[in-house]
Amino acid sequence: MGKGFVTLLGLAGLLAAVAPAWAHHAFAAEFDAQKPVKLKGTVAKVEFINPHSWIHIDVKDTDGKVTRWMVEGGSPNALFRRGVTKDALPQGTEISVDGYQAKDGSNRANGRDITFADGRKLFVGGSNPDEQPGK
Amino acid sequence: MTQRSLAIGNLWAAATVAALLIAGPVSSQQAKPSAKSFTPPRTPDGQPDMQGIWSNAILTPLERPADLKDKAFFTKEEASAYVKRTIEQNNKDKRDGSGTDADVARAYNDFWWDRGTGIAKTLRTSLIVDPLDGRIPALTPLAQNRAEQVKEARRLHPADGPEDRPVGERCILLNSAGPPMMPSAYNNNYQVVQTAQTFVILNEMVHDARVIPLDGRPHVPQNIRLWMGDSRGHWDGNTLVVDTTNFTNQTPFRGSGPNLHLTERFTRMDAETLLYEFTVDDPESFARPWTAAIPSVRTTGPILEYACNEGNYGMTGLLSAARAEEKKSSK
Repeated sequence: MGKGFVTLLGLAGLLAAVAPAWAHHAFAAEFDAQKPVKLKGTVAKVEFINPHSWIHIDVKDTDGKVTRWMVEGGSPNALFRRGVTKDALPQGTEISVDGYQAKDGSNRANGRDITFADGRKLFVGGSNPDEQPGK
Repeated sequence: MTQRSLAIGNLWAAATVAALLIAGPVSSQQAKPSAKSFTPPRTPDGQPDMQGIWSNAILTPLERPADLKDKAFFTKEEASAYVKRTIEQNNKDKRDGSGTDADVARAYNDFWWDRGTGIAKTLRTSLIVDPLDGRIPALTPLAQNRAEQVKEARRLHPADGPEDRPVGERCILLNSAGPPMMPSAYNNNYQVVQTAQTFVILNEMVHDARVIPLDGRPHVPQNIRLWMGDSRGHWDGNTLVVDTTNFTNQTPFRGSGPNLHLTERFTRMDAETLLYEFTVDDPESFARPWTAAIPSVRTTGPILEYACNEGNYGMTGLLSAARAEEKKSSK
């Protein structure tokens, strides 16, 4: 990071600090910050729908019991523009999800991070030209 | 082509747009953009041709950050640093504050967002060009009171039913479609289609099409109120001027009220830029009128459908969450 960046912190710092986090709806109204979840399972269905995508995964517990979870993502429109379709997540793909569970206790979570079995993060780093995506 | 190479290809495109946006010398002449040197192509009807798909994805803030005071323009170096800084601040992939509402609100990672990667090539520090301080003028007591009432209603009834939620969450209208249109976190694209009698703006955010008559007909009567207001357009040289009135009280823009008179101006600046200016004139709500300018950049299509109502599981999710919280607090 260059010198100019540090110099400008004083100029632009305030703006970025107060810029609202905007999404289609208030995620904090739907999901519980006190209920972080880490889910590991296989993709059962992908809904690339608007306003937000949903990835359905089957999670097996230690007794072998399978539970279906729904994981909320963003609008698919930006992904389509980047050449990504739901084929990127074929049925049976093993993924891990870091997120927060729904406040009503149902098996829904937001997908803060989605990671493939080999450790690659799904869809990471899209808006920063200095970063490379898909790793 | 793999997902990764496609994604990298897109980043190249994004970087090109960024270079386009922040390139160019800074001079006082650029304070007021001029389209005099550009002769726009014409439609078969002889109108300036603005058809195509345009993007409002831009990192220039609506208001000048307070700490920039009277600094209306960045230097080139400051602009680059500002862009870097803003992208870093917006980065949803950071993991500080885990277990807080702020982290929950970051939702999914950054790849789903599409805010743009540059600021206007004028290097302005705000989209607002008038008043000179780059800030929204003070709200009148009436507008402040109105905003307080909305806040209080939301506090008392945050989510009894969908009607208590913002119109955006209900998929009725999202703020970036306006009018006035504003840069947002994704779906920043709009398509212009012109006929001899109409100017149509199809906005990707909720797929709204504004059909603006150009035939000089009067506005609808005052007692008819419309979600996007009632728009009428006319040509002023090479600029399309759109007057919009008859708003409802459901779509305040930065504190505006139903009697807002919005004037939008569209001017082709060059082959790749459509200057979009809007003036907010609402003496009931603001101490004085104010104007902002967004250089919309030509982009490739298509406009993608955003059928917001079809999959709005989030609405049932948050109402269900509200019921669960009520149950918990009543125990």
